[in-house]
Amino acid sequence: MTLPTPTYPLLAALATVLLPFIGFLLSAIAGRRAKSGAISITAIALSVVAAGYTFANVWGGEPIHIQWRWFTIGEQAFHVGLLLDNMAVLMLLLVSIVALPVHIYSVAYMKGDPGIHRYWTFLSLFCAAMLGLVIADNLLLMYVCWEIVGFASYLLIGFWFTKDAAVQANKRAFIINRIGDIGFLIGFAILYAGFGTLDINALFGPQGLFATAAGASTAGSTVHGGLPAGWITAAGLAFFLGAMAKSAQFPLHVWLPAAMEGPTSVSSLIHAATMVAAGVFLLARIFPVFDDTVLLVIAATGTVTALIAAYFALTQFDIKKILAFSTVSQLGFMMVGIGIGLYPIALFHLATHAFFKCLLFLCAGAVIHEMQHLNDKHRLGIDPQDIRNMGGLRRYMPVTFATMLIASLALVGFPLTSGYLSKDALLVHAFEWAALHQGAAHIIPYVLAFVSVLTSFYIFRLLAKVFFGTAATPALANGQAKLHDPSAWMVGPMLFLAACSLFPLFTLHPLNDGHVWLLQGIAVSKPWPSLPLLHIVIPVGAAFATLAVAVWVWRWYVGGKYTAKTDGPLYRLSFHQGYLDGLYDRFVVGTVLRFAGVLRWLDTYVVDGLVHGLTTLGRSLASAAGWVDQRIVDGLVRLFGKLAWGVGNVVRRTQTGRLQGYFASLFLVILVILLYHIIVQA
Amino acid sequence: MITLTHFLVVGACLFSIGLYAVMARRNAIMVLVGIELMINAAILNLVAFGRYDTEHYGGQAFALFAIVLAAASVAVALAIILNVYKHHKTINPEDINQLKD
Repeated sequence: MTLPTPTYPLLAALATVLLPFIGFLLSAIAGRRAKSGAISITAIALSVVAAGYTFANVWGGEPIHIQWRWFTIGEQAFHVGLLLDNMAVLMLLLVSIVALPVHIYSVAYMKGDPGIHRYWTFLSLFCAAMLGLVIADNLLLMYVCWEIVGFASYLLIGFWFTKDAAVQANKRAFIINRIGDIGFLIGFAILYAGFGTLDINALFGPQGLFATAAGASTAGSTVHGGLPAGWITAAGLAFFLGAMAKSAQFPLHVWLPAAMEGPTSVSSLIHAATMVAAGVFLLARIFPVFDDTVLLVIAATGTVTALIAAYFALTQFDIKKILAFSTVSQLGFMMVGIGIGLYPIALFHLATHAFFKCLLFLCAGAVIHEMQHLNDKHRLGIDPQDIRNMGGLRRYMPVTFATMLIASLALVGFPLTSGYLSKDALLVHAFEWAALHQGAAHIIPYVLAFVSVLTSFYIFRLLAKVFFGTAATPALANGQAKLHDPSAWMVGPMLFLAACSLFPLFTLHPLNDGHVWLLQGIAVSKPWPSLPLLHIVIPVGAAFATLAVAVWVWRWYVGGKYTAKTDGPLYRLSFHQGYLDGLYDRFVVGTVLRFAGVLRWLDTYVVDGLVHGLTTLGRSLASAAGWVDQRIVDGLVRLFGKLAWGVGNVVRRTQTGRLQGYFASLFLVILVILLYHIIVQA
Repeated sequence: MITLTHFLVVGACLFSIGLYAVMARRNAIMVLVGIELMINAAILNLVAFGRYDTEHYGGQAFALFAIVLAAASVAVALAIILNVYKHHKTINPEDINQLKD
């Protein structure tokens, strides 16, 4: 095998991944001295530059693929390499460019934390793993990075490991992600069994096994390569299980709200571009593997997730929990994008969502930060994340309010924001897809439209409770305490992300998603005709619905016109997040514990019993052998000894030293011999 | 008529008396006398059987040798007894048990 010539974009891509990794190593070596985070920030900043260079050179051009032999098992060689196509460089840039503001923000947000050196170390590892994941050219390497991402997130969620809730949360995240990892593992094991390669380009590329096989055979009962269609479906479902856990799809989403126990800056990174994006990216990367069945499952799961998460978000009081459920809901939207076959739309929504969700978390972090200060200063003993304790913060924190407003508008898909472009594109295409499929497929777009309304409600409720109205905290209300916008280290990244959440980053046509450069770069042909009417009706309808909800929420929470019935079953179901935790505790955890109890019983009584029985048997055999040894073998030896002693003892008496005695015995002996001869010969 | 049997009976009686003296007497001299009696019983046997060897008179010849040897041995034994007496101040064989070790 000849080594391909490394070119500058390749080296730059490599640098993008390796720089944060080196940052991780240096921080880890420096230990407690790496408090400032200068290493990590420099690494990620250089990484952004390298990613930008790679992007500029690869985007729109020919994909670059390079690989080296990694190891060989028997006849099978495994390769390690980079695959730089439009999708990879887009994610490369997105991840690094979202990670940079988070790093900068962390300088101020995490200041004074006793474990901050660990924070920088883990953060660099997290970014390096995610960047490695997006440019990996085969599923094995991708899996390795996938695992590191999971592990780094585990470390970061449990960053405040002295808090029991944080420990529970990171354990939960880790365990649920393990479930997904098994899916991923099974998925690529099936593919490897069928095709003997894990190379993404060879499997899913334009000339890959899937593309040619699908073209050659008839649709429906397609037989890809060496695998029957059933196995392909199984592999697709297995991969989707992996993505479900990583991208927090119902019912495996429970780790994401729990992950709010980590630092807010980590949450923003997890929710924007690194952790949860991995699942969506994986599905987009291996998209050809999915057949119609799996796509339908994906779309349905995404819809259910979007609906349920938005529903749970309605009644939460923890500012971060609301945003967490919002992320789960938006990930559901992306899954629908994958499920209807338009993964570019899903990736587009992923990209826009990365910016505004990251911004939402950073703003929430700023608010929490200030509330925490207020809490500490006046010893209020309130939960700094509870939105019931906030209110009227708009006057104290205008910049935070403005940026959060932009991010919220982007989230609800208001015109002029990036979210408008991606979300409405998703909705429109979902309607078109439903029109093609007819029947029950219509449920999906209508549910999504309804979820959009719910989204508007919960995010405007959040804004109203936090920034409008009167302060619920007395110290704030009577003017004793003053809150203010955070320092420039935090405001800077927020402003940058706010700019990225507006339309000009993606297209110069603010109301039309047809000219988005991002979609043109990774476009796939739509298998159905466009319905032009929908492209007008849906955005307009959505915008008006958003406005109506905004007004309604304003009257509700600011005007105080309505009160929520907090004792209805629907409210309680939402507030307790569908009682899923209890269900999991009872059925999954309980089952596992019972199973463990049975195993323990087996271990104690059967395995140990067997061992103990063998021990007893051995001991009794040994004591029997000991008895034989002591009594019989030794007894025989002792018997001979005693015999010799006794004979000697008797015989020695004859040696009296008296001549006459000797003579007598001599005579007797001769007499005996004589008599013997006489008697015998007679 | 005195037959061979008569000689043998007299020899046996002599031997027995000598044996008794050797085993039972408490005086080393008397033990020595017992030994002499036994030797003489043997010599008597030699002479008695010598009647059948009229050609060479081997019995009588051996008897003469034996008498000489007995005299020599008595001389040696008496010397030993004298030395023993000097050493132990007794000639009772019961009291002399130094041969034990």
